Amino acid sequence: MRADYWTRFLIPPGVWLLALFAFPLMLVLALSLGYVDDLGRAVYGTDWSNYAEAFNPTYLPVLIRSVGYAAATVALCLLIGYPIAYYIARFGGRYRYALIAALVVPFFVNYLVRTYAWVALLSDEGLVNNFLVNLGLTDRGIQMINTPWAVIGGLTYGYLIFMILPVYASLERMSPSVIEAGKDLYGRPFRTFLHVTLPQTKQGILAGSVLVFLPAVGDFVSAQLLGGPDTYMVGNLIQDQFFAANNWPFGAALTVVMMLFLSIWMIGYLRSASRDARGAAI
Amino acid sequence: MSEAIRLEDVSKSFGEYEAVKDVSLTIEKGEFFSLLGPSGCGKTTTLRMLAGFEIPTEGRILLEGEPVEDVPPYERNVNMVFQSYALFEHLDVADNVAFGLKRKKVAKDEIRKRVEESLELVSLADRAKSHTNELSGGEKQRVALARALVNEPAVLLLDEPLGALDLKLRRQMQVELKQIQREVGITFVYVTHDQEEALAMSDRIAVMSDGEVVQCGVPEEVYEHPAEAFVAGFIGVSNLMEGIVQGKDKVKLASGQSVKAPLPEGCDKGEKVQLSVRPEKITLDDFERGMVTLEGTVAERVYQGVNTQVTISLGDGASVVALEQQTYRASADDRWEPGAKVKLGWHPDHCLVLR
Ligand SMILES: Nc1ncnc2c1ncn2[C@@H]1O[C@H](COP(=O)(O)OP(=O)(O)OP(=O)(O)O)[C@@H](O)[C@H]1O
Ligand SMILES: [Mg+2]
Repeated sequence: MRADYWTRFLIPPGVWLLALFAFPLMLVLALSLGYVDDLGRAVYGTDWSNYAEAFNPTYLPVLIRSVGYAAATVALCLLIGYPIAYYIARFGGRYRYALIAALVVPFFVNYLVRTYAWVALLSDEGLVNNFLVNLGLTDRGIQMINTPWAVIGGLTYGYLIFMILPVYASLERMSPSVIEAGKDLYGRPFRTFLHVTLPQTKQGILAGSVLVFLPAVGDFVSAQLLGGPDTYMVGNLIQDQFFAANNWPFGAALTVVMMLFLSIWMIGYLRSASRDARGAAI
Repeated sequence: MSEAIRLEDVSKSFGEYEAVKDVSLTIEKGEFFSLLGPSGCGKTTTLRMLAGFEIPTEGRILLEGEPVEDVPPYERNVNMVFQSYALFEHLDVADNVAFGLKRKKVAKDEIRKRVEESLELVSLADRAKSHTNELSGGEKQRVALARALVNEPAVLLLDEPLGALDLKLRRQMQVELKQIQREVGITFVYVTHDQEEALAMSDRIAVMSDGEVVQCGVPEEVYEHPAEAFVAGFIGVSNLMEGIVQGKDKVKLASGQSVKAPLPEGCDKGEKVQLSVRPEKITLDDFERGMVTLEGTVAERVYQGVNTQVTISLGDGASVVALEQQTYRASADDRWEPGAKVKLGWHPDHCLVLR
């Protein structure tokens, strides 16, 4: 009886999930088996050719590039985000929450708008190049936009907070006396960090990596605004099918393939990582 | 015996607040030394200065004769057992214990041997591969102890290590800890606010109050001859009675009676003092020659099994507590009804005059 009582609370979120998640997913799946008629309209069908097309080797570089950019983004977010989270958690004192809030607030600004700001900064006649030319450091400026670095930089900037927050939470949860124990047991500061702090915050790093990787690998905004044809990502490919090529069924098939690929990959990663965390001897 | 630790006029301030004031102590090698005092008196701060987590604002700390006040914790040959255990949750029991030896780059075979030995010492040999979160509080405490002892430090620092355990386990661990200390012969500096624990375990006790050491001595001395009213009051029930010096070895109590009491040097007539008599030194209705006797009224009687604790009001708000043994001659039930008049007495030697 009690169990019945509590399961009733699962009904509203269940309905919500069904309506807003499962149902659209079904639509995408159904659409991916469809085709485009002569008038350019998407028609449902049972056509597997979209999937055959999705595995066309010409798209392979795009996929590899996307994963590479996303991995680089995760690495950069970790390199930048971990120290920030660390300093706030350990030395922020009573300003900790204010500092976290200060980091979060810029992310309330739409991602697209923030990326445009980067365009204004980095483009060939942008603020940075103007400044460099005025200083006389170069005469024509440096090409920054349309490079992989600009795209990865944009992704890093866009998703940094998703790394900082979980890492901060895991650092905050850690008792400072554990670090002191490390130092007391002859761990120099860097060794203590390596053998105590880092493994104890592994869960935060894992969560942050997943939270950054997933949106980064499917992102199209950064590549569209800060990149060029050479930095085309899977997100751009899919977006083009919907808005430029007007081939919705093929876009849907690409989405499904992408989703399956990421799911398998993520499950594998999370399982092996959590096994590592458990079995980690120094 | 040679000295393990010496503190010379050590002070520590946090901003304006002086947490430790002018502490000077010498701790001998192999000693079980306790820092005892109420919450906030600076015990942990003193211990953390010994460990190297805090640098003294003033004064010197010598570890086996070498000044160490600026030496960081990872270069000091001392180890600490934290109250919160502070175990490394990502490592199993054996790797927790091996941590210090690995950082010191001890050879692998020796690490394995010493880890085994120290787990043996704390009777956890069969839990070597357990994960720390599968352990009970007492087991965690023992891992923390083994993790520190395995490094064979010159001094082991313990900050209320039994504070989180329940009473029964606490008693058991007290005995075990003392046994281990005797076995390894390492100097222990033990912080506690539990006076019974300090009396039971220590070779010597330093009683702290407000950042100062007010008395330092063997347990018997601290208990029997407290240097100040604070010490008398903090350690055990002490029956402090207000009085005024009346003449040579004579004190007039606030409740009116005049009693004989050995006065310390330089007590003048008319000076305000406090008399302290331990409850177990007070007898009721059963006197010997030379005893001081007073009259009072039984206010309360608490039967405690071995003892009966009787609170006697002396009039004028003053009261004393007496502990009476149950003997083969007398049992509690027929004696000292509340409200009854009673005579109490003690030997003047057992009475302490505190200024
Ligand atoms: N890092 C610090 N900054 C400011 N004040 C501190 C700091 N550490 C300790 N204090 C203050 O110093 C005083 C002594 O603290 P300490 O921790 O040494 O007390 P304690 O005797 O160990 O008490 P307890 O039995 O409660 O653990 C306290 O009033 C405390 O507030
Ligand atoms: Mg303390």
